[in-house]
Amino acid sequence: MRLDGSTPRGTTEEASITSSPPAVGSTVDGPVDGRVEVRDLTKTFGSVTAVDSLSFTVEPGQVTGFLGPNGAGKTTTLRMALGLITPARGTTTIGGTPYAAPPQPTRQVGAVLETAFHPGRTGRDHLRVYCRAAGLPTSRADEVLAQVGLAPAGKRKAGNYSLGMRQRLGLATALLGDPQVLVLDEPANGLDPEGIQWLRGFLRHLAHDQGRTVLISSHLLAEVEQTADRVVIVGAGKLVREGTLDELRGESAGTVLVRTPAAEQLTAALAGTGAVVEATGPGALTVTGLTTDEVGARAFTAGVELHELRSHTSGLEEVYFRLTAGAEQYAATTPGSVA
Amino acid sequence: MNLVRAEWTKLLSTRVGLWLLVVACLMAGGFTALFTGLAGAENGLPPVGTTEFADVVAGIPAQVAVIALVLGVIGMTQEYRHRTATPTFLVSPQRGRVVVAKLLAYAVAGLVVAVAVVAVTVLVATVYGSARGGAPDWSGDAPGVLLRSGLALVVYAVIGVGVGALVRNQVGAVVGALVYLFVVEPIIASVPATADAYAYLPGGALAALTSGDGPGDLLGTWQGGLLLLGYGLVAAVLGTVLAVRRDVV
Repeated sequence: MRLDGSTPRGTTEEASITSSPPAVGSTVDGPVDGRVEVRDLTKTFGSVTAVDSLSFTVEPGQVTGFLGPNGAGKTTTLRMALGLITPARGTTTIGGTPYAAPPQPTRQVGAVLETAFHPGRTGRDHLRVYCRAAGLPTSRADEVLAQVGLAPAGKRKAGNYSLGMRQRLGLATALLGDPQVLVLDEPANGLDPEGIQWLRGFLRHLAHDQGRTVLISSHLLAEVEQTADRVVIVGAGKLVREGTLDELRGESAGTVLVRTPAAEQLTAALAGTGAVVEATGPGALTVTGLTTDEVGARAFTAGVELHELRSHTSGLEEVYFRLTAGAEQYAATTPGSVA
Repeated sequence: MNLVRAEWTKLLSTRVGLWLLVVACLMAGGFTALFTGLAGAENGLPPVGTTEFADVVAGIPAQVAVIALVLGVIGMTQEYRHRTATPTFLVSPQRGRVVVAKLLAYAVAGLVVAVAVVAVTVLVATVYGSARGGAPDWSGDAPGVLLRSGLALVVYAVIGVGVGALVRNQVGAVVGALVYLFVVEPIIASVPATADAYAYLPGGALAALTSGDGPGDLLGTWQGGLLLLGYGLVAAVLGTVLAVRRDVV
């Protein structure tokens, strides 16, 4: 895959491929090409504070997931970052400047905030409109159509496109300027499993191999779990957590599940280690605070027979639910319903 | 300039513009044929082949100004209706320039409609008039009226873009504009207490610029023209300012 050699960044494609992405979580002082910095963004609609003093940073070379339940303020934040909504307070800079500042933002930032097109216009004409507006050659329309796999449908009216094709057309629009930064709002909506797989690979390629900044929002953690390196989680307009997926997994407080006919003996053997041991059934224990190796070693020393010893991580999904619990604007009352 | 070309690509890549052009030509041709067919009858229409008849015919293009208005309204409101305002303003964050480009593009589109409508009107009047005994005599005021009628279409297209930027809701803007032109203005013109104001409204200004006939006293030709231009300018400036200031959600 090739993203047009004429990149505006002055780097050859080779250089951007070989350049290693910055270390996860690293911060370099000063403006960095492709770094998105959101500072203290706030927006109220009437009496509702949609976004509340939100600050976070998105680094190049990574895919960053922007997560939060529906109504958490994700779209409003992205629209403020891209100059479509005027924030009550706060700023967003992309590569050190606000979005509207560069004369040709399409070359710096490509964004899809909704799959918007005139239903009577062909996909190709839709793209040509924005080529003209951005001062790009209209041949870019065909290039990006091919890039997202829509070339055969380019001359069909966009109104007849499937949901997945509309998503691809939106992505193609964002790619027109061969941007350093890609911002996508709920890009996986309506994509079939194959499409999601393709999108995942595509975004990771753009970020990891080409050093671009990729920010994708979603209300579903599962959607970004295999794509994102880092997540920014918001709830009710506030920052809930910012970090790598590994850091988040670390918070899931892994437990060790043990089955043994000598539960009491093992509990005694684990006393004094600081671990919390909980009997979860006849002959079943849950140990928090130790690894499987440590539990196994203690059991061996104490001569306790083990029938099962395995680690259980509660999973990102649980962490995400815990972090955003109560932050849903329209929490359902039915127990077990998923926001 | 890129943005104006983008607007042209938008206009030409859907059928709306073409349909409105066809409707405008059909309306102008239809009116002309009707007037030509009735010319010289006992209804006060002057006979074909006279300068008086040519004057009447020359006022016909102004009657389809409403189509130019609708063209402008749709051109602006489709961005909101189909939500393409988002990608449009993402590509061109200086929103004022987008609206100005639209105003320019639709002024040109209005000019295209005007030329087509004037051509159809002259053609139908000449061909049908000749068949009925004489082509209109264009030696009088008629060419000037035709020119000003065409100009009015351009201004109405520009007003349409401004109205679209103000109202944003496509159905609301089109219906509102039609109701205003065909219901509100006639009422204002017919109620004695407000009749004097009619001359200063867009419809009154249009009438002053083109036919010079209308209920009550109208402004002079060029005063009407300037007033109409003023309305176009106000709509354009208001529309631009609002498009820049409002959030695009």
